[in-house]
Amino acid sequence: MTILDWFLDPAQWAGADSIPVQVGYHLLYSGTALLIALAIAVPLGVYIGYTGRGELLVAGVANALRALPTFGLLVLVVMLVAPHIGSRLAFVGPTIVVLVLLAAPPILSGTVAGIQGADPGAVGAARATGYTRPQILWHVQVPCALPLFLSGVRNATLQIVSTATVAAYVSLKGLGRYIIDGRASSDYTQMAAGAILVAVVALALELAFLGLERAVVSPGLTRAQLPILRRTSRVRPGVVPPASPREATP
Amino acid sequence: MITFEHVSKVYPDGTHAVHDLTFGAPSGRLTVLVGPSGCGKTTSMRMINRLIDPTEGVVSLDGQDTRSVDAIDLRRKIGYVIQSAGLFPHRTVVDNVAALPRLLGVGKKEARARALELLAKVGLDERFALRYPYQLSGGQQQRVGVARALATDPPFLLMDEPFSAVDPVVRTQLQDSFLQLQRDIGKTIVMVTHDIDEALKLGDQVAVFREGGTLAQVASPAELLAHPADPFVADFVGASRGYRALGFVEATATVQLADEAMVRLGARPADLGEVDGGWCVVVDDAEAPLGWVDLRTAGDVVEERHIDFSGTVARADGSLRDLLDAALSSPTGRGLVAGPDGRLRGSVGAAEVLRHLGRGREAEVAS
Repeated sequence: MTILDWFLDPAQWAGADSIPVQVGYHLLYSGTALLIALAIAVPLGVYIGYTGRGELLVAGVANALRALPTFGLLVLVVMLVAPHIGSRLAFVGPTIVVLVLLAAPPILSGTVAGIQGADPGAVGAARATGYTRPQILWHVQVPCALPLFLSGVRNATLQIVSTATVAAYVSLKGLGRYIIDGRASSDYTQMAAGAILVAVVALALELAFLGLERAVVSPGLTRAQLPILRRTSRVRPGVVPPASPREATP
Repeated sequence: MITFEHVSKVYPDGTHAVHDLTFGAPSGRLTVLVGPSGCGKTTSMRMINRLIDPTEGVVSLDGQDTRSVDAIDLRRKIGYVIQSAGLFPHRTVVDNVAALPRLLGVGKKEARARALELLAKVGLDERFALRYPYQLSGGQQQRVGVARALATDPPFLLMDEPFSAVDPVVRTQLQDSFLQLQRDIGKTIVMVTHDIDEALKLGDQVAVFREGGTLAQVASPAELLAHPADPFVADFVGASRGYRALGFVEATATVQLADEAMVRLGARPADLGEVDGGWCVVVDDAEAPLGWVDLRTAGDVVEERHIDFSGTVARADGSLRDLLDAALSSPTGRGLVAGPDGRLRGSVGAAEVLRHLGRGREAEVAS
């Protein structure tokens, strides 16, 4: 059976273990972990960026967390927690915890760097013309921090989505099922299909983030800080968009 | 009026940034603080809106001690222009100018309408209004910075080296257009610069600081050039101060202008007859002087390529420096002088300018 056959098999698209259900669980775990990571890292990052306190601590902790082996940590947490909790929560909880630990550092450093990296001239001008400190934060630093913040969130999301496959190792659902189950039964087609699905979900989210960035980040900033995302579709002053060939030859 | 009374700033490590400063910046006038780096001029300016608090002494605005006012309220009464413009990168030009009024509760429409007026006032074309700061040149950004500082129509304006981050040509344009604006708005301005030429050009009053944060002299530019208080000021004001001082002496009707023969561009010099020395002034259709032409070497028709453009043209109501410069730069030694309408009035030689200056000096001594 080729991978294409596997995807075309109607059995994969209906029922309790179908592709849509596994994608749904995968996104559920990922989304939950991302929300928790945001809830922890954003306020902390804003506080650190705003006050300048605890920068070294954050840098140290963030680096240490990055070095943690996700897989080993998951097994360890499950072994510690499982004896005390009877339900499925014994597996869901540790999975989410591990994903949160993975996602928090990039969001935290993105937020801190964004707030601190806000143009010092703009911040100075705001202060000198009577902006209060919260007003400087809200009207200048936060909008200027958005590109770096969003790129931190995007990194975190991609890491979560690709790592959430480990949920299957502790008997949970998600796209990891195809990889773990395929490995167990030496069904390499299924394993490859699982990997492809993870990649597709990651790509879809990447596109969603590009859209989000265009929607919320000021064009005045993207040009300065995210040259990769320079929007060529938008007409710049003095730049005439090339006529499309179709228009040229009716 | 912004007044400093025995103001000192000492940092915890014992550094005296400013020492016993007493002077006033008169209302509606532009006072320039100038001096070498580390002389405390910027510190002094930042004490006005309490970005820095003085260790001793009183800074007051129109008689009110700045310490008796909330720092935030104080700053909102004082416009501020910084060196690199410091525009908000995430806002369009018009919203940069409208930002502070919006923050203080002015409606969006009203704030933007006022912002557009201000942008026109600082000489920025309307088509720039919806651009972002990164799409502007340094000079344009600085114009927006000035418009933003004026957005709430504050009675006071502080400017921290506002024109130093642009090239000399743009700087001159910004200075000229700012001088014109100030004539119109008449704010009480304190400006910091390290450039003595800028200080002398823009200031109604110039305060020269020396290292150690003490005031060396406060005077009008002309006074500073004519009577520097001590060797430090004399040295700081510069070597060519005698020539520069001429810039503050207005030419009066007593300067004798000589008549000059005119020839229009495209005319036939043969029609003019004999002209003294062969040199003749070329004018355009509005009789504005373009330059000189040597009729001995020109062809049958005066064309642009025959014109010697080296001489500057002084205005009859300009300064003696302009007149002298016109005379010195002219290929004939006769400086071209035009009226306020731009038409040629005549010419003046360097000797006549100096004679006029000598008469002024005698009058000064006699009085």
